[in-house]
Amino acid sequence: MNPQTQPPAVRARGLGRRFGREWALAHVDLELAAGEVLLLAGANGSGKTTLLRLAAGLYRPSSGSIEIFGLDPQQERLACRRQLSMVSHHSYLYDRLTALETLRVWARLAGRTTSDDELLALLATVGLERRPGLEVGGFSAGMRKRLTLLRAKLEQPRLLLLDEPLSALDGEGKRLVERWIVEARAAGIAVLMASHAIERTAPLCDRAVHLERGQVAWLGDGGGLLDRLGEQR
Amino acid sequence: MSALRQVASLVAKDLLLEWRGRTRFLSVVLFGVVTLLLFSFAAGPNTPAMRSGAAGFLVLALLLSSTLGLAESFRLEQEERALEGLLLLPVDPVALFYAKAIGNTLFLLLLAPILTPVALVLYAVSIEPERVAVLLGLWALAAAGLSAPGTLYAAMTSRLRSQDVLLPLLLFPLVVPVLMGAVKATALVLSGDPMSQLGSWVTLLGAFALIYWSVCGLLFPYTVEEGR
Repeated sequence: MNPQTQPPAVRARGLGRRFGREWALAHVDLELAAGEVLLLAGANGSGKTTLLRLAAGLYRPSSGSIEIFGLDPQQERLACRRQLSMVSHHSYLYDRLTALETLRVWARLAGRTTSDDELLALLATVGLERRPGLEVGGFSAGMRKRLTLLRAKLEQPRLLLLDEPLSALDGEGKRLVERWIVEARAAGIAVLMASHAIERTAPLCDRAVHLERGQVAWLGDGGGLLDRLGEQR
Repeated sequence: MSALRQVASLVAKDLLLEWRGRTRFLSVVLFGVVTLLLFSFAAGPNTPAMRSGAAGFLVLALLLSSTLGLAESFRLEQEERALEGLLLLPVDPVALFYAKAIGNTLFLLLLAPILTPVALVLYAVSIEPERVAVLLGLWALAAAGLSAPGTLYAAMTSRLRSQDVLLPLLLFPLVVPVLMGAVKATALVLSGDPMSQLGSWVTLLGAFALIYWSVCGLLFPYTVEEGR
């Protein structure tokens, strides 16, 4: 397909999501191209996670539409999920499995044929290779987060949905994630990221969106977002 | 990845989790034994009454124990939203259902051979050795008939705080045909089948197991994915 005619990684048109009578997200128009990093900023409850979950197909839009590489996340769920990987607030881990067993399960279900040596090498990238026999239930919050982040590596997605990717991580872990985001961008992977750690994430993004009460209040670049939020403080 | 390989991977994952948390299985077994004991106390020292009710007591003990196991199978998936994590992978929810239903059937199949000897001793019932295989086959059908709707309802109620109450309320009425078939067929295996009625009850159990496995597999995606 001609790159000119390729559908964007994410295209939202008049997107809205209601919980009961409350609109968590309303009238959102957004486009994210391949290889672009878009930061979602906003206060708690501003709709960042809702937007990410709509993109992942975990919520059905109450109004408008959203497409992932031209696919409807509701109608073409499996095809859509082959394109994306989501790192959420939740770790999606089983406490009784070890890190290596967890990666084995994810790899098999993602359709990847990966040897244990390759998985151990992957664990080494986040510093978890020394405890392959320890059950995840014994991990600290930071170790769990590191393991969860490996899911994105295993799935080899074209779109990364990151919800607070830096939370629970120490300085080294945060630098690792920042490096991954830069590498993902260079590899043509689109990244849609919600974060409160604006000072660290804004410099990584091509564009930023400031959400207020479920609506796009501002759209610009990372530097502009820092200025805007600085003025608001 | 083929659906069969997905099912196999998910079953292997569930069995490993079951093995690591095997105290859960032991507590379900203990619950079943206590239930059988309570039925024997309720029937009193009346041996004929205990013998005539043995099949019913045994099947009820299995049914009550099974609800504990079914509820627990999805509780693991709700911790840290592991189920959502599976659904975000390119995994067909139907494969997820059949993997869970197979895991729950195996769980019940392990429960039956432990509770049956306890019931035989408590209720002073004997079984001819050549009929043990028939009884096991019967349990396999009953376990299949219970686990498919049990898996569906366990998934439906897994996010509710009142799951422990709701699951039996929803499940028990639906599995009445399986319960009846299992009780009647077990009674015929234990006390003899002079009128050759066993075949019709086995057919009933098989038919309901088939219906439940088909219909529940189709309905399952609606219970775990929003907006279907």
